[in-house]
Formats: sequence, C-alpha cells, structure tokens
Amino acid sequence: MLSLIIFLPLVGGIIILFTSKTNETLLKGIALGASLASFVLSLFMTALFKIGGGFQFLELGNWIPSLGIHYHLGVDGLSLPLIVLTALLSLLSVAYSWRIELRLKEYLFLFLLLETGMLGVFAALDFFLFYIFWEITLVPMYFLIGIWGGPRKEYAAIKFFLYTLVGSLAMLLAILVMYFNAQPHTFNMLTLIEQQPLAAKPVLAALAFWGFFLSFAIKVPMWPFHTWLPDAHVEAPTAGSVILAGVLLKMGTYGFVRVSLPMLPEAFRIYAPAVAVLALLGIVYGALVAMAQTDLKKLVAYSSVNHMGYVMLGVASAAAAAGIPEKAVAAATALNGAVFEMVAHGVITGALFLIVGVLYDFRAHTRGVDEFGGLGARLPMYTGITMVAMLASLGLPGLMGFVAEFFIFVGSFGIFPYLTVVAVTGVIFTAAMFLWTIQRIFLGPFNERWAGLPDMDTREKISLVPLAVLMVIFGLYPRPLLDVINAAMTTLVAMVR
Amino acid sequence: MSVPLEAYLALSALLFVLGTTGVLVRRNALVVFMSIELMLNAVNLTFVAFARQRLAIEGQLAVFFVVVVAAVEVVVGLAILIAIFRTRDTVDIDDVDLLRG
Amino acid sequence: MTPPAVDLRLLVPELVVTATAVAVMLAGLFLPAGRQHLLRWLAAVGTLAALGTTLTAGADPTPAFAGMYVRDALTRVIQATALLAVLLAQWLSGEYVERTGLEAGEYYALMLVAALGAMLMAASSDLIMLFLGLETLSIPLYVLAAFARTDLRSQEAGLKYFLLGAFGTAFFLYGIALLFGATGSTGYRALAEHARTPAVIFQAGLALLTIGLAFKAAVVPFHFWAPDVYEGAPLPATAYMSVIAKVGAFAAFLRVYVVALAAQAGEWSTLLAAISVLTMIVGNVAALRQTSIKRLLAYSSIAHAGFILTGVVAGTPSGASAVAFYLLAYTFMTLGAFAVVLMLHRRGEEADQIADLTGVAWRAPALGGAMALFMVSLAGLPPTAGFLAKFYVFTAALDAGQIGVVVTGVLTSVVSAYYYLRVAYTMFTGQPHEDVGFAGGRWVTAALVTASAGVVVLGIFPGRVISFVQQVGQAMR
Repeated sequence: MLSLIIFLPLVGGIIILFTSKTNETLLKGIALGASLASFVLSLFMTALFKIGGGFQFLELGNWIPSLGIHYHLGVDGLSLPLIVLTALLSLLSVAYSWRIELRLKEYLFLFLLLETGMLGVFAALDFFLFYIFWEITLVPMYFLIGIWGGPRKEYAAIKFFLYTLVGSLAMLLAILVMYFNAQPHTFNMLTLIEQQPLAAKPVLAALAFWGFFLSFAIKVPMWPFHTWLPDAHVEAPTAGSVILAGVLLKMGTYGFVRVSLPMLPEAFRIYAPAVAVLALLGIVYGALVAMAQTDLKKLVAYSSVNHMGYVMLGVASAAAAAGIPEKAVAAATALNGAVFEMVAHGVITGALFLIVGVLYDFRAHTRGVDEFGGLGARLPMYTGITMVAMLASLGLPGLMGFVAEFFIFVGSFGIFPYLTVVAVTGVIFTAAMFLWTIQRIFLGPFNERWAGLPDMDTREKISLVPLAVLMVIFGLYPRPLLDVINAAMTTLVAMVR
Repeated sequence: MSVPLEAYLALSALLFVLGTTGVLVRRNALVVFMSIELMLNAVNLTFVAFARQRLAIEGQLAVFFVVVVAAVEVVVGLAILIAIFRTRDTVDIDDVDLLRG
Repeated sequence: MTPPAVDLRLLVPELVVTATAVAVMLAGLFLPAGRQHLLRWLAAVGTLAALGTTLTAGADPTPAFAGMYVRDALTRVIQATALLAVLLAQWLSGEYVERTGLEAGEYYALMLVAALGAMLMAASSDLIMLFLGLETLSIPLYVLAAFARTDLRSQEAGLKYFLLGAFGTAFFLYGIALLFGATGSTGYRALAEHARTPAVIFQAGLALLTIGLAFKAAVVPFHFWAPDVYEGAPLPATAYMSVIAKVGAFAAFLRVYVVALAAQAGEWSTLLAAISVLTMIVGNVAALRQTSIKRLLAYSSIAHAGFILTGVVAGTPSGASAVAFYLLAYTFMTLGAFAVVLMLHRRGEEADQIADLTGVAWRAPALGGAMALFMVSLAGLPPTAGFLAKFYVFTAALDAGQIGVVVTGVLTSVVSAYYYLRVAYTMFTGQPHEDVGFAGGRWVTAALVTASAGVVVLGIFPGRVISFVQQVGQAMR
C-alpha cells in the first residue's frame, strides 16, 4: 500500500505526459485524481495504523542485490503524520494551481514527480533509496522555480539547487561512511540504528555527523545556511512555495530525527549545544528579519526560518539528553513538540503561502505589506482565514502552533534552560511581527486602490478552509496526533542509550 | 669492440627528445610530422637494442608492427595535409587556427 | 618450436565487425547514389550480429594467440559497450550524413574499424596487441574528424587530432620499449612479475605508457587537443569519438593497471589519483565558460574521464566493475545528448551553440525532456544511469581508501550540475530562434529513444547490468 501511495502521483504524471496538452480539463483531472487517490490511501493507512506498533506497512524487496541495495519502505509514528501532510498539501496545491495557464502539462508532471519524491523520503528505510528520493525532489523543484517563478527565477532556482546539492552530496559521503563501517556492509537504516557501527569510532562518527548535518541543516534551513530560502520562496510560484515550506523543509528536520539522532547519538550529544545555539540564532534572526520585511512572501519565508529554529531547538535538546535516563521524559517531550511543530508548521505555513498567493496571483499583484490597509471589512472570509493562520503561527493558545511550541519549550527547558528562556522571548518577536502585519493589511484606513477586490472564490476556499479547520481541531484537541508521535518518540528516546 | 647497450639507449633517447622538441617547436605540419617519425624510429632503435641484449624476438617483432603502423599513419596524415593544402595553400600550423579554446 | 595455436572461434565478434566493415565499404562503392541509405541497414545488422556473438561468448578466461589475446569477462563487457557505442553512433549519423552529403561506405566502415580497435584493446594481454588495438582505434578517428573534407574546421580538427594523436602514440610506444627492456617481454604477465622490484627503467616505461594513454583518454594535462578537435569535427563523428576513444583507453587502463599491476596498487595509485583530481577540476571548471555545446560536451567528456579514472585509482575488482559500468552509462548519456543536438539545425548548419537551444523544449517537448534527462544524468543525479555510475566508482574508490579523490569528485559534481542544468534550463526558457529548425528522422530518433531508455533503465533497474559488469571484478579475484 505504501508503494501505491508513493507512486500513484508518478503514474498520474506519466499519464499526463501522454495526454494531449490542449485538453486542460483532463490534465487537471488526472493530476487531481492521482493526488487525491494518494491522499485517500494515506488516510486509509492512518486508520489501519497501530499506535506504538513500531514500523508498519513494511515492504522489503531486492532492488540491486549485487550492491546490497534493497527496496525497503515502512512508516512509524514519525513518518506517518508527515506522509499524510505531504499528500494533503500536494492535493491542495494541485487544486490551487487550477489557474496555471503557462505550460500546464509540464507543470503538473513536475509537481506529481515532486510529490512522489517527497513521499518516498518519508517512507524509505534503505539509505540508498532515501538518497534517491531525496534527490528526486531537487530537479522538479528547480524547474518549478526556474520556469514558473518570478522575475529573478533563474538566480533563485540555481541557488536553491546548488545549496541543496552540496548538502545532499555531503550526505552521500556520510551514508557511505556508515555503509563501510557496518558489518556486514548495509544500507538498511533499521540495521544501522541497531548496530551503531560508528559507536566506537568517534572521529568517523563526527565526520558522518557533520556530513548529515550539512545536508539537513541546509534543507531545514538552519542559520547560517538559510540564505537560499527567501530567494527561492519569493520567486517560486505559490504552490511551489507551499510545498517548499510545508514539506521540503521538513525533510531536513525529519533527517535529524530519523538519521542523526538514532544512528549517531554520541556525536549528536557532543555537538547538540552548538546545534541548539544555531537554532536559537535562527529563531531570533528569523523573527527580527521578518519584522523588517515589507514583502509579504518574504515575511512568511523568514517566519519559516524562525519556526524551523523551534523544531531544531527541540531536536537538539533531545539529542543533548540522549542516554541520560533522568532526562528521558524531557527529551521525549521536546521531540514530541518538534515533530508536532513540523506538522503544524507544514499546515500553517502552507496556508500562509496560499493566502499570499490568493492576494498576489489573482488580485492585487503586489505583495507589499504597506500597500494594503483596511481589507478586513471588504474581504471577511479572506480576513478570517488569514487571522486564524497568522495567530496559529504566532502560537496563540487554542490553535495548532501553541501546542507544538509549548511542548518544545517544556521539554527543552529541562535540558537547555538558558537557551530556552531566550527562545521564548523569540515568541514575542514572532507575535509582534504577525500582529503588526495583520494591522497593516486588514485594519486601519481602507486603501481605495483595492475597492474592486473580490473575496475568495470556491476553489480557494477548498484549498484553504481544510487547513484552517485542521489548525483549530489540533489546537483544541491535539491528542490523536500526539499519541501517534509520542509512541514513536518514546521508543526512539528509549532506544538511544 | 662492441658498442654497449647504454650507448644505443642514449642515442635513442636523444633522438626521441629531438623529435619531441621538433613537434613542440616547429610550425610546419610536415616538419612536425617528420619529427614524430623520428620519435617512432627512436623507439624502434630501443626495441632492437633491447632485443639484442635480451635475445628476445619480441623486440624485433614489435619493430615490424611499429613500421607498419607508421606507414599507415603516413597515409592518413598526408591525406589530411593534402586536403588542407588544397583549400588553403599552406600547411603552417599557425595559419590553421579556426578552432581556439 | 611449435607455431602458436590459432583459434579463430574466439575471434568471432571481431571477425564479424571486420567483415561488416569490409562489406559496408564495398557496398558503398556499388550502391547507386540514391540507395546509399541501405548501408545503414547493413551496418546495423552486422553490428547487432557482432553484439550477439559477444554477449553469447564465454566469460571464462581463455588466452589465445601465444598469449597476445585473452577473452574473459572484461573483454566481453567492454566489447559489448564498444559495439553498442558504434551502433548508436551509426544511428545518430543516419540523417546527418545524408543531409550533408557525407554518406559513404567508408564512413560506416571507419566507425566499425575504430570499434574493432577498442575491442582488441579490451582483449589484449600483451603490450604489442594493445598498441595495435590503440592504432586501429585512433587512425579511423583521425579520418572521421577530417571527414567533411572541404570544411576548413573539420580539416583543422583532423590535422590537430592526427598530429597530437601520433605524438601520444610515440610516447606510448617508447613506454612499451622501455618496459620491454626492463622485463624482456611484452606480455602483461611479465609486467606483473617485474613490478615487485621495479627498476628505474620500468618506472620510466610505465610513466611514458601512461602519458600515451592519457593522450588518448583526454586526461589532464594531456587534454588540450580535445575541445578543438571536438568542435571542428562533424557532429556525429564528435559524438562517436568522445565515446569510443574513452572505451578503448579505459579498457587499456584496466588491463594494464588493475589486471597486470594489481599487486603494486600503492605504487602508482598516487600518480593516477593526482591525474584524476586534476582532470575532474580542470574539466569541470573549464566547462563552465563554454558557449558552444560541442566544446561543453568536450570538457564534460574530460571531466568524466576524471570520474572514470577514480575507479581505476581504486585498483580493486569492484573498481574495475565500476569503470565498466560507467563506460556503459557514459555511452548512453553522451550519445543521447548528441542525438538531441543532431535533431536541430540552424539554417542547415549544425546548431552547436547553447543559445540555439533557447526555448526549443516548448516547440518539441519530448526533445526538451530527453535533453533534461541526459543533462541530469551527466550531472550525476538520481534516478539516472549517471548517478549510479558515479555512486559505483566513488564507492569503490572510498573502499580503497581514496578519500581525497572522492571528495574532489563530489565537489566537482556540484560544479558540473551548474553547467549541465544551464543547458536544460536554456531549452525551457525564452523565445526559440527563428532560424533553428528540426532535422529529425527515424534513425536519429531510434538512437535517442535507445539512449533515453538506457539512461533510465541503468538508473532505476540496474540489477542485471550490474551483475553483468561484476563478472569483470569476479574474474580478477
């Protein structure tokens, strides 16, 4: 079933390639059908998922037997929410892309290829396969930015590409270090976690750790590797931004939790304080720079740097506490928060980029925060959803972001008390930034330039309302999601001795 | 009095270096080509000298092959040179300079 | 002394190729001008037959002809690659030679003879055999480079290639002569025996031999001829020589360094490692500035020579298998990229500037998609043949402890991604030039489709091919 979820979008994409490009309705229908099928199946999988049952829906087959490479898939409480999130955001983005006119066929194909890559990353349990899926996401995103992007698309696309490529090649080397030190040589991630091949080789472990770190940190992106992100976000088409912020960034943090933490716990523990400080810098820097932005899209992009900082703070705290029994609870709490934040940030930031897109792509064609004003009275629906998303993003209790940040702070306070205190002040900046933005766009005197602006249409509502509903539901009742995550994280913390 | 092996080797090395220098210094394609022939014959001398010292037939065998292949190269090389000469009336390498990196 | 046994059965693939070359050349003389295209069928049938006999030939090491020749797994894999290269190159040439009036029996015959040279190099177990194979490979390529007789650029390419090729050959031969002096024999076995206690003359001979091979493989610092020659030669000839010369030269590298000198890995691997690192850096960095796609692919072929060399540097059986796999992948992706360029023309001329590709993908999406695929593969990104090939050689080199080489390889791969993607990107943006037209046809399309399929299959389902090339390594254990 997992294979079906992963490859259905690709199958859809290939069918699209062989469909006439004049029949746009059919093209869109196929794309929507493929991503919808994938999403429905992922929900079905969630229903069958047994909480606390470790890795499930395993698939193991020989792929390149002569090199010891397997086709190995499986999901646990960490990857399941991310897979569902990916399928959901992809579906909504395809729905949102209804009005793409330029090269629709190629656009949809690349989009579906991208979806397959992302789903594969979260499900792969063989390092080689993991790497393949990881890289598959690169090329479609490069073209999505490079062809359908804004004015400086070429620069943004190649910058995104080269940054990520440097990272992923570092990861490839790190993977090979793991591979050659395992006895027998293997790419099986589960076996590698069990064996801890580098436990007795601190130098190699440090090298592998920094190899993985470079790759994941660029993807997250952690400060100071974040400079590709604002460019890529500003130039990317709306749906591309949604996927970039909602899913691609999560691949980085997912890597930290799935690879660095369980496979190299010793090395990660040693360097956790450094990682935590970088995370903190990301939090503060992201919030401050976001405040200074007048471009709405850049603002959301920098707020991503800020939020991913929270995730990394949680992960680093858990790593620092690895192997210390009395801190196990704090570590699990911080990790729960981090994973929850990954999902929350995916939903919230995905929604925020759609919101920016709604205003920019089809209505105002400008993203200058200062150029708006008083829209609240004219566009009630739009304003309502934006308010929910922004308040969720700043961590208002009762919405999804709060739950995540609360757990992260509670968990990491037991481990890095001082850093956490500084990080909490970062929340104030975040709050200030979003509230100020809300005020500038929706309140105040109405700018007559926008007198003819219509409210959201049905398609936009279909894209946005589900996300807003999710923010509220998981804000008020995070239990089901937390249970899934918690079971996996507790196992993880217990396993790291 | 027999000439020692070292003398042959020294001579052939000298010829080889002369040929190399010729290739690098001279600009006329024909002269360059002749320099290459000189290098090949230096090689032949080495082969024969070693074959004599070692009493191994393979060295002399190799010379036959080298001579044959050199003849083939002459055929191809001259054909290309003639084609160039027909269209440009020169075989100076400095004049053959359309392709520059 | 009994004369050496002559077992022609071992030579069937080579004989089929030779017979095809002769038949094509003769047929070219007798076929009327309007029916010259029948030559393609003849050449294709002969090549396919040779490919079939190669694949069905045994892989157990069988020496023959007084130890000059050996048929083993390496022979089989490299010969199959060479035949595949010549087959694809014939298909690529089909419409081009027709369009430019170059179609003739000699054209296909020369291609086949060059392939024969590469096949003999792969099967050599004696330096003289290697030399003969090398010349059988090189001399037809000189002629092919100059094949557009009246075109000044083609003449110049032929002359440069010929002079520098012959220059390289002289070094190669001097190396053989010195090795013969040091060991008293030209067989590889004698090399292996004397390598344990190498004399100065042995080292010098090996160094000269390496210089000669480096010339042929276009490895830095003996690469400078390649961009000029590639730019000047007719497009399909460029495509073919960039592949077949590599196949032959690396077969020789494997035979000499990995098979014959395996015991002395440490001695020479430092030298090869240095060459490999230089080649990767120079090739990739120089490619950044190119505006002509032929020159770009020339520097890219230099860079790939560096990548392939990392497998030789490893010096292990898995390194040898990796090199064989890389050569196969390289054949598909390079010839594929050339096929795309061959399907375009600018006012009847070759569309060989990168700028000519502007926006072409929107007029011919399949062509754009194929080019993107080849560029992604050349850059070494999954899920394509190029990635697996790089992964394979780098893994082998890492296993042999060559960390510096691998790190350089990885870093230069990033550089290469930049210029390869720029080509793909150019195809997908901007307004196409008015004077760029399409010059497709079923032959070049067949080559394009085969190459694309090869790149995808080797990237996603490489299991069978990898076990095929692994026989190379197993034979060496």
